[in-house]
Amino acid sequence: MTWRGETIDRRGFLKAAGIAFTAALSPHALMALERAQAVYASGYRAPDGSFGIATVSERGEIIDRSPLPARSHGMAFSAATGRLAAFARRPGTFAMIFDPRLKAEPVMITSPEGRHFYGHGHFSPDGRLLYASENDFDGNRGMIGIYDAGDGFRRIGEFDAHGIGTHDMTVSEDGKLLVIANGGIETHPDFGRTKLNLDRMEPSLVLLDAKTGALIQRHGLPSSLNQLSTRHVDIGNNGRVWFACQWEGARNARPPLAGWFAKDEDLSFVSLSEETTALLGNYVGAIAVNRRDGLVGLTSPVSGAVVTLDARTGTVLRQETIRDAAGVAPAPGGIAVSSYDGTFNETRSLVAWDQHIVRIG
Amino acid sequence: MRHLIVAGVIALLPSTVFAQEAAPAPSVDLPQAAVTKVMAAAVDGFIRPGYDAFQQSAERMTGAMNALCKAPSKDGYEAARTAFWDLATSWARIEIVRVGPIIEQNRFERILFYPDRKSTGLKQVQGALVKADESVTDASTLGTKSVAMQGLGALEYVLAGTGSDELLNEAGGFRCRYGAAIAGNVANVARDVAAIWDAPDGIQKTWEQPGSDNLAFRTGGEAITALLGILVHGAEAVRDQRIESFYKGPDKAKFPKQALFWRSQNTWPSVKANLEGLSALLETSGMVELLQENDRPVVAATHAKLKSMIELSARITPDLEKAVEDTGERKKLDTLLADGKDVIAKLNDGYGGAIGLSSGFSFADGD
Repeated sequence: MTWRGETIDRRGFLKAAGIAFTAALSPHALMALERAQAVYASGYRAPDGSFGIATVSERGEIIDRSPLPARSHGMAFSAATGRLAAFARRPGTFAMIFDPRLKAEPVMITSPEGRHFYGHGHFSPDGRLLYASENDFDGNRGMIGIYDAGDGFRRIGEFDAHGIGTHDMTVSEDGKLLVIANGGIETHPDFGRTKLNLDRMEPSLVLLDAKTGALIQRHGLPSSLNQLSTRHVDIGNNGRVWFACQWEGARNARPPLAGWFAKDEDLSFVSLSEETTALLGNYVGAIAVNRRDGLVGLTSPVSGAVVTLDARTGTVLRQETIRDAAGVAPAPGGIAVSSYDGTFNETRSLVAWDQHIVRIG
Repeated sequence: MRHLIVAGVIALLPSTVFAQEAAPAPSVDLPQAAVTKVMAAAVDGFIRPGYDAFQQSAERMTGAMNALCKAPSKDGYEAARTAFWDLATSWARIEIVRVGPIIEQNRFERILFYPDRKSTGLKQVQGALVKADESVTDASTLGTKSVAMQGLGALEYVLAGTGSDELLNEAGGFRCRYGAAIAGNVANVARDVAAIWDAPDGIQKTWEQPGSDNLAFRTGGEAITALLGILVHGAEAVRDQRIESFYKGPDKAKFPKQALFWRSQNTWPSVKANLEGLSALLETSGMVELLQENDRPVVAATHAKLKSMIELSARITPDLEKAVEDTGERKKLDTLLADGKDVIAKLNDGYGGAIGLSSGFSFADGD
């Protein structure tokens, strides 16, 4: 997720990978890794319909692949331990934890009875805990499952997310806060991915005490924006939480689509022009902050757009059309973008990249 | 024309720079007139007639129940059961549309609360029958109660569940009046939905005329993607929620009494009508017209597979215990599951890819 705190640099990744990992790579993949300035992970769908997680250079060259039993969505990476967790796409029930450098066998965890994963999660800064957004579908409430990385990722507890349709979540740099995006949309596995309450949504953004689960802050949205699903979050400099939204209301409306807040602060929305909002199709599918460069990237697969904001002011620095723009993450300089059509920065591969990418080296 | 714009890393820019490049690049770019024709055909040729037919079935059901309550008889009871078959299959044809007013204000669940793994509906219906709670015998009042006791599942239990033989014996009996109220409640919901779709300046117009100022679809591509979504999600629902809810394969646990409408032996008529609905929407809308000539065989292949499934679903025994245990019957179920997967793939990747969804329909829904 973040540029400074939770990635290891490319040389570190290569060094940590060691001979066992590099020896298993094809010459092409090894060359891609050796010249890489940054390494990412992304879910993909192969031409044969199978799913997996790939490690990718910033040029978009695939370094390695690991199969998954079904489609994944978001990922969490721990720089402290080198582990990568890939979460099933809702309403999936698995999460797979890898060491991208192949130092350990993958660990598969399954959501408990009555829960499914919502597709996102995050490690604690020390890598000892894995938090996952989950749906208590009969209770119609979002939860944060807590898994112990030191004990085979055994589920050791859960916190109430204080909202419905919990989607993305992250952890503050000091590990004290859980930041949760409750999209406000009710779903139930019995109805697949059908959105069951578009006429009475309850989006919210929540801060929890990471130790106790106590509610610290909860921001609902005004009634005029109750169809604005607050879906994704990332953390910028000085603890600023950036969030991105998807509008479920009238298509000819021009709602705000991104904003920020911090502990003890109200929500502030980015003032996007009508033109930029239309370019994004009232929909942001992923958000990432490049803290070093002070940038925020927003992607929209709905309309095929990427917008880059100044993280200090929220002003638009650049907007661009990229068909099926999906994942976004910090690049060595700027923002890296993937697409469903297999394009990752300048390389197009014979896979469909999934909705999110994460920088891991 | 389909846009394909490939971008590299978005480089770090000075904060004063504002760069705007090409126009929006929708994933699906289709001729507006052709889209309007397809959407109008879907709305006017399938969706509106489907809800109208469902409303009429619900009103016939109400009439049949009222007649049975007034003068119980074997013929009257059979007429009510036939009306239920008609209502269940009428619903199943249009049930595939899981967008729009039907999923607002709990209308879908009010018509059909299923699956009901915790038997919430069964308990509530049985409770109402035991207590003879008069408040459930008025359709309007019933409509304000739990969704689990006011729809087709509840009506099926009234007609085919334990104690249903009392419908033959007592004029004006509680059970019969409760059944009539359920039918009336379903008719009320059906009437609401049909009216919303029939209003000329409402959803009908937004579906038929995509555009920048449209409430539902800014572009024709969005509209056709939504229409394809009805088919994909409808096919998924048949497979995942109607068949796999009780049978997932020969080596998996089987739950024949969790099947929809097993008591009245309307499980397969309902599945068949779901499939007929999918086939009818694909045909009536003329979605094939949006494809290039060399892509069109995917539509014919989808029709052929649906036709095969429709025929097969009519040949499976209505005795679901036997259907999941008998080797020959089970093979039919396995074929339905496999064919259902094939239909989903044809729509998802075949049609979706042909209209320009680079990774198929289901892949490209953000989230």
